Amino acid sequence: MDASRDEKKLLRYTYLLCLVCFFNLAIIKQPFDKGAMVMSVVTCLLVGYSYFIIRKFFSDGDKYIFIFSSILSVIGMVMLYRINMAVSIKQIIWFAIGVTGFILIVVLLPDLKSFSKHKYFYLIVTIVFMGMATLIGTEINGSKNWIVIGNYNFQPSEFGKLFFVAYLASELKDYKNFKDLIRPALIVMLCLGFMVLQKDLGSALIFFGISITMLYIATSKFRYVAICIGLFAAGATISYKLFDHVKIRVLIWSNPWPYANGKSYQVVQSMFSIASGGLTGSGLGLGHPEYVPVNTTDFIFAALCEELGILIGFGIIILYFLLFYRCMRAAVYGEDEFSRLLVVGYSAMIAAQVLVIVGGVMNAIPLTGITLPLVSYGGSSMLITFFSLGIIQKISEEGR
Amino acid sequence: MNDISNNIKKVLMVFLIFFIGIISYITYFEIIVGPKIVNNAYNRRLWVKRNEVLRGTIYDRNGNPLTKSERIDQETQKREYTGGEIFAHVLGYVDIKYGITGLERKYDEQLMATNIQDNIKNLIKNKGKNEEKVGNSLKTTLDLDVQRKAYDLLGDNRGAVVALDPKTGEILAMVSKPSFNPNNLQEIWKSINENKERPLINRASAGLYPPGSTFKTVTAISALENMPSVKNRSFDDNGSLYISNDYSLHNFAGEVLGNLSFQQAYTHSSNVVFGTLGLELGNDKLKATAEKFFFNKEIPADGIPVEPSKFPVLKKYEKGSIAQSAIGQSADLASPLQMAEVTSTIANDGVMMKPHLVNEILTSKGQSIKSIEPESLGQIISADTAKTMKDFMRSVVNEGTGVNASIEGVEVCGKTGTADHQAEGKDAPPHSWFIGFAPYDNPQVAVAVIVEDGGQGGKAAAIIASEVMRVALKK
Repeated sequence: MDASRDEKKLLRYTYLLCLVCFFNLAIIKQPFDKGAMVMSVVTCLLVGYSYFIIRKFFSDGDKYIFIFSSILSVIGMVMLYRINMAVSIKQIIWFAIGVTGFILIVVLLPDLKSFSKHKYFYLIVTIVFMGMATLIGTEINGSKNWIVIGNYNFQPSEFGKLFFVAYLASELKDYKNFKDLIRPALIVMLCLGFMVLQKDLGSALIFFGISITMLYIATSKFRYVAICIGLFAAGATISYKLFDHVKIRVLIWSNPWPYANGKSYQVVQSMFSIASGGLTGSGLGLGHPEYVPVNTTDFIFAALCEELGILIGFGIIILYFLLFYRCMRAAVYGEDEFSRLLVVGYSAMIAAQVLVIVGGVMNAIPLTGITLPLVSYGGSSMLITFFSLGIIQKISEEGR
Repeated sequence: MNDISNNIKKVLMVFLIFFIGIISYITYFEIIVGPKIVNNAYNRRLWVKRNEVLRGTIYDRNGNPLTKSERIDQETQKREYTGGEIFAHVLGYVDIKYGITGLERKYDEQLMATNIQDNIKNLIKNKGKNEEKVGNSLKTTLDLDVQRKAYDLLGDNRGAVVALDPKTGEILAMVSKPSFNPNNLQEIWKSINENKERPLINRASAGLYPPGSTFKTVTAISALENMPSVKNRSFDDNGSLYISNDYSLHNFAGEVLGNLSFQQAYTHSSNVVFGTLGLELGNDKLKATAEKFFFNKEIPADGIPVEPSKFPVLKKYEKGSIAQSAIGQSADLASPLQMAEVTSTIANDGVMMKPHLVNEILTSKGQSIKSIEPESLGQIISADTAKTMKDFMRSVVNEGTGVNASIEGVEVCGKTGTADHQAEGKDAPPHSWFIGFAPYDNPQVAVAVIVEDGGQGGKAAAIIASEVMRVALKK
């Protein structure tokens, strides 16, 4: 009972955060913006109702996973509303769909063990998704990893990630000796190769992070991890020598200033944005995140730091770590090797994504455009994150 | 089971290190990198911040607006200079791309400061709308009519005109030619930077020219103060001053002036007499007098970029140069502002006033915030010497080289100068100089005029000076 009281307390703070932030957004506009208040109420209702369902029907699982992701989504929604109202309304729809998916997975999905059998299916789907954009992709924002169907753009590699983890989990669950690692290793390399060709270096880094984390959990051998890092370094050096777009990324990263109005425009604007915000930020609605390009997706962290300060930035990073921790904790309760690896893979995916994009907008590592899970605007990102979290939630239930 | 929780702990550890790493990097970025980059010119937030206030207006002394600011969008406001080229040098310009100069720079803070604040009371009073923030205004000492007249009179010549109120140091006009139009810097920037005539330089305060015979004023003062008997002395001018076997000094156009009093020597601008006096005084004494007038020093001048005028240090045996330096040649260099200060010191009974451009800072609604009082730079010469020089300068205009500067019904005082100089290694037409003030008994205006390559000082420059003074005196 105690646990549920803590959860409810945290949930109440989430509502408070949501109401206060949107109230702030409502009063900075002249005249008073009623839409912001509607947004806040809708968001609170969505969060509250979802929590109610999870709590009511599946009281055994780890509810913190849902609460942490709600807080992050609320922060994202507030910032999106501040930057572009229309985008935030779309985002709330995606949030609703994501949460619904999350609940449906928990409710409807049969025992996960049965999914470990479809190894070859995952393998094929992974390769199809990864390779798709290399062949028929369109270049948007400097990366050729988009598929355009009518008015709708999506990144197939985002969906590929889900199958990629499922494939690795089903392959590595039967690990006995070194020989069992050769095929997955080749598949990972193939995927990384596709990502480099699509100029999507961020995803390549994330796939690598996922792979070695899963490898270590499956084998418990540090030696393999070291070998992988060595291979990755070699691969990185070769692609640096081979591809101009990789060279440009590194060049911009090492000194962005000479190209401030050209190639490094985005990252320089992002750095200005964060530096202008300072410790406590300019205040919601008082900064100028509109000067940062792609501020609703890739650079939303810069916008957050500018207006809410790096203290909130730290808070967001800590929240991600807590979410990651709760997710990894679920792995301990996994009933079989497949579920555990699945949890580890999806958790690592979210954490790696956070590290890569936050490091990128600060120019701590070469910048690559990916979304900040749950906070950035993006349908596919939202769906995939909630889908993975749903699976983790499901596994956390099974174990109890 | 134990195995996996152990592994997971290790993985969590590694990720924790990464997360702490990124937090540490953000901290480092905020403390070390951030402060260095926020003021980078590419950071458009800086202009937004500036743009919160609509820049204040600059007025002339009679309340005519010389600038007009208008908001365009979040980052930019357009600053229009109503006088265009006429006031370009003295007002300066403010531009996102080309920076900020002149008076705009010196008074930037005041022009951007405002007493209009966002507060609840104003918000209610204005029915929920914030009042537009407008910066303070400047009431300058400039006189639109005088400035325009001086600009027109210079015509297509290169040159400069400075007009001061000798009693207060207020700058009534400051014109430099060629000029440029600060309203369309974008289009002309390249050409005005490449132009060999260098229109961006304010010749009135930063242009250095050999002062020619106008410098005899300083030499005469030095003689009056160091050799009290000089006033009653009589000189014999036979047209040339022998200095060495291969060098002697001649009068303008080879004139022979014959027997002269000191006053007549000044009135008719005798090179022979003043060369002789220069040799008698010696470099030390003459230099001391020049430096009292701020030669070799920067005249404090209210943010106007002043190039210090120069008077050389010469060895005793450099007789030719010593004699030349007494008649404003050799290595003597003076800005028009410098010479205007010399003549206004005489007009103001020996007290030099600090030249300044702004009389008052006002709020956007016209209430006074601060008025700037005239400031003295000290008693440079005695009132007696000043009185003598006034008489001398009056006779220059009445009967000497400066008759062209006379104004009907006003007693004008002045001194002409015809300054030899070389351009590209060859003798060029001399610069035409005139310094002076009017009226004799109650000086209201002091001027210095230079027309580059303008020939005799008694012609081009004297005519301009006369017209400028006439407008300033409203005659």
